[in-house]
Amino acid sequence: MAAPDPRQQNKGETGYSWLFFSGVRAWFLRLVVILLGIGLGGAFYVWYTQHSNDASPDSLAGYAYAIIGTIFLLLAAFLYALRRRSHNKRTIGQLNTSLNLHICFGILGLAFLFFHSFGNFNPRTGTYALYGMIALTISGVVGRFLDRLVPRLIAGEVHKALTARGDDRIETISHELQAIVIHNTQDLRGFTPLPNTKSHQAATSLVPLSGPISNDFPFLYKDQPLHTPWDLAYISLEATPQELNREEGHYRFIPDKKSELMRPGAFMPGAQEHINELQEVERAMQREQFYRYIVRYWRVFHVMLALLTLALTLWHLIYAAQLLLPTFPH
Amino acid sequence: MLRTGLKRNAGSVVMLHKTVPQVAQELHACIGCNECLLACPAATGDITIDVLNRETLSGPISTSVARFARSCYQCGACIAPCPVGLHRDAMMMWLKVRMLRSGRGE
Repeated sequence: MAAPDPRQQNKGETGYSWLFFSGVRAWFLRLVVILLGIGLGGAFYVWYTQHSNDASPDSLAGYAYAIIGTIFLLLAAFLYALRRRSHNKRTIGQLNTSLNLHICFGILGLAFLFFHSFGNFNPRTGTYALYGMIALTISGVVGRFLDRLVPRLIAGEVHKALTARGDDRIETISHELQAIVIHNTQDLRGFTPLPNTKSHQAATSLVPLSGPISNDFPFLYKDQPLHTPWDLAYISLEATPQELNREEGHYRFIPDKKSELMRPGAFMPGAQEHINELQEVERAMQREQFYRYIVRYWRVFHVMLALLTLALTLWHLIYAAQLLLPTFPH
Repeated sequence: MLRTGLKRNAGSVVMLHKTVPQVAQELHACIGCNECLLACPAATGDITIDVLNRETLSGPISTSVARFARSCYQCGACIAPCPVGLHRDAMMMWLKVRMLRSGRGE
C-alpha cells in the first residue's frame, strides 16, 4: 500500500464540489430500508390484487395499508420533532439519525398510503389527503437537495464579500475609496481658482505703511486689523511675471459634453472602479440574503404542508368513520 | 458629481455572515460544551468540538470536519442552545469559504 503524500496530509481536505457525497453508509442503509419496505408492500399488493376480489381501500388489506402508512407518517412527523425538542441523553449524531429515519418513514408512509388507495381516487377526502402527502414528501426531498445546494451558493457569495484574509470587503473598499476621494479632493482644491472679489484683493494686497507698527497682537494700524504677520507684509502677494496666472484662459478649460472628462469620476481616477466593486459586493450580499431566505422558508413551507396534510388526513378519517361506523353493528 | 447608485439600495443590504476577526473572537469564547453539535441535525458521530474549533480558522482540514462543513446547511439550530450566545453557523460558513477557496487554489 502506497504511503500518503505528506504534502497532501499537511494540506488536509480541500474543495467544495457541488455534488459531494458524504455519509455513504447512512445513505446506503436508508436506501435499503426504503426499497425493502416498498418491495414488501408492493409484493403483497400484487399478490393481493391477483388473489382477492375485494381490492379496495376499505378491504382488509386496504385497512392494513392505511394503518401501516399512517403509523409511518406519524413516526416521520413526531419522532424527529420530539427528538429535536428533547435534550435528555442526547449524543452527537443522534439528530442526524433521526432525520434519516424521518426521511425513510416519510417515503414509506407515502408508498403504503398509495397502496391503500388501490388505484381508487374517487373519494374526495382520501384523494386530497394523498395529494397532500405526495406534495409533502416531494417538498421534503426537494428540501434535502436545497440543503445541499444552497449552502454552497451562500459560501460562494460570502467568498465574494470577504477579502483573502477574511475581512469585510465593503469596509476595505470604502477605506480605499475614501483615500482616493481625499487625495483627489486635495489635488482639485489646489487648482481651485481664488475668488475674485474686492475684499479678497484688499486682504491679499499690500497695505502701504506710513507709520510705525505695533508689536501687540493683533496688529492694528490706524484702527484697522492687519491679519498678516509683519515679516510677511514685506512679501508681495501679487503675481510675478514668471508666475503662471490661474485666471488665464488655458486654466479655465471646460470640457464639452462628449469629452471623457465629463464621465462621472473622471476627476477621481480609480473611484468609479471601486464603486463598481462595492456594488458587486452589495449584490453578492443581497443574493446571500435571498439564499438564506430559501433555506429558512422552505422549512416553514414543509411544516405548513405537513399541517395541511394532517388536517386533510383527519378530514378523511372522519369521513371514513362516518361511512364505516354504522356498518359495524351488522 | 459621482453617481454611485448606492443610495438607491442603502439600508437594504444586511451583513449575515461574519468576518474572520469576529469568527476568531467567537472561537476563543467557545467553552466547548458541545451543545451546538448536539442540536445539529447535520453532525454525525465522528466529530468533536475541539477538533472543529482547532480546524475552523486555519490549518489543514481533516476528513470528518470537511464532511461536516459540507453537510452543514445553515439552519441555525446551533445558535439557540449555545450558553455563550455564539454563532456556530457563522464559523461553519468561514470553514465552507476556506474549503471553497482551497478548491480553487486560492
